[in-house]
Amino acid sequence: MTPDQPEEEKKYCLHGILTLSGINPTRVILWLVAIAIVSFAIGFGILAVSGVFSPGTSHPNSPFIQTAWVTPNTIDIPLDGAVSGNISVIMGAGKVALDSGTPENMLMEATVFSKAPEWQPTLSSALEDTTKTVTLTDKGHTGKAWFAVHSPNSWDIRVTDRVPVVLNVKVGAGDCKMNAGSINLTYLTVHSGAGDTEIDLGRYHGGRFDAAITSGIGDLTLKVPRSGNTRITVHQGVGETSGFGFTLNNGAYVTPGFDPALPVNEIAVKQGVGSFILEMV
Amino acid sequence: MLQNEQEYIRILTDRLSGMLPKEDLEDILSDYREHFRIGKAEGRAEDELFRSLGSPDDVAKEIRATHLVKKAEETRSCRNIVHAVVATLGLGLFNLVFVLVPFIILIVLLLVVFLVGIAFSVFGPVAFVFAFLQMLGFSSFAIWLSPAAGIFISIGLTAVGLLLVIGDLYLARFFYHQGIRYLKWNIHLITGAVCER
Repeated sequence: MTPDQPEEEKKYCLHGILTLSGINPTRVILWLVAIAIVSFAIGFGILAVSGVFSPGTSHPNSPFIQTAWVTPNTIDIPLDGAVSGNISVIMGAGKVALDSGTPENMLMEATVFSKAPEWQPTLSSALEDTTKTVTLTDKGHTGKAWFAVHSPNSWDIRVTDRVPVVLNVKVGAGDCKMNAGSINLTYLTVHSGAGDTEIDLGRYHGGRFDAAITSGIGDLTLKVPRSGNTRITVHQGVGETSGFGFTLNNGAYVTPGFDPALPVNEIAVKQGVGSFILEMV
Repeated sequence: MLQNEQEYIRILTDRLSGMLPKEDLEDILSDYREHFRIGKAEGRAEDELFRSLGSPDDVAKEIRATHLVKKAEETRSCRNIVHAVVATLGLGLFNLVFVLVPFIILIVLLLVVFLVGIAFSVFGPVAFVFAFLQMLGFSSFAIWLSPAAGIFISIGLTAVGLLLVIGDLYLARFFYHQGIRYLKWNIHLITGAVCER
């Protein structure tokens, strides 16, 4: 071996690295063409399957959301003589704000902000005997999570305080803020997949109720009235729980002066990942 | 009015000095001196020779244009092709239409394709991130009707952007080559000179 040989080998090695041997412009172009065709085929295929490109949609030729926030659409649900209500609010992705207070003879009012007209939620309501059942469903929630068309909406919902109500709120991804105020709750279910959840029952003066609150990922804040006879059982995954002012009774948080002999508001909390803040107001 | 051969050669030298390498200039000037020498030996008057050659200004323009086109052909660069085009424009006013307009159209076309390519190449990855964030539930980033579709379409847009940029480079090379041929043909048409092909 001559002294020049290692130098020659180094040169060849360097040449190989610099030219990325095996990669030439033609190959790069062919790869890019293949990637573009396959990507577009899959992307537009998903849109076609999810029904976005079907006739009748407002933007059949674009994969983008084309409209900005549209004028809020207000939905009114009358009581129609019902003496109780059963309200379900089901949202795939977006924000839900729930409060009390509707005009007389109204069970529920919802102001829906939607980025596209077709993302307006589906509403169904029925009166059975003396109970009015209302379901407000985000269309995106009806399909498979990531492949369905998401509707990043924002809903402001107001519920009557005149009749007792069973309230069921589900939010897949997004924040949920609920101010029960003077709603006369019979049963409350809140399910949040990902996002922060705040439930304020501080001004609640209705009858006894039970509640089941589930939060997947995100912080959960629950405000409970000091005067209520309330017991909160908590199943915490990953995260911290703070319950200042509450007393631990058999592993459950109870309000001051809790008496199991009296009617008890039972609240079951399941928290996945995130902190759980329990406040007394 | 030209007085004699020396004045003709002097004007030609003056117009071409600094434009051509010294050796090339000397070759050209010696060709013209030879032309005058042969003409005189055949008994032709200087006036007649001046008329047959054309004015030294026109001859200098033609030589300059031919030289710059050849230089642009040998060394490919934006500067060289611009110089060649400008020199060719000096050969006749109508070249404003036949050279300048096509040249500007081509430049604009290449620029537009390049900018669209860059825009797609930048927008693709940004749209990909938006689709990803939308998929995670961040509604402020919702630009896609379907985030899963957005992931794939943004990859496609990036690939198309890169293809446009690469294609633009090839297109520029093609137009450069064809442009040189066109300029040579144009000079030949105007001056009747024999150009290298």
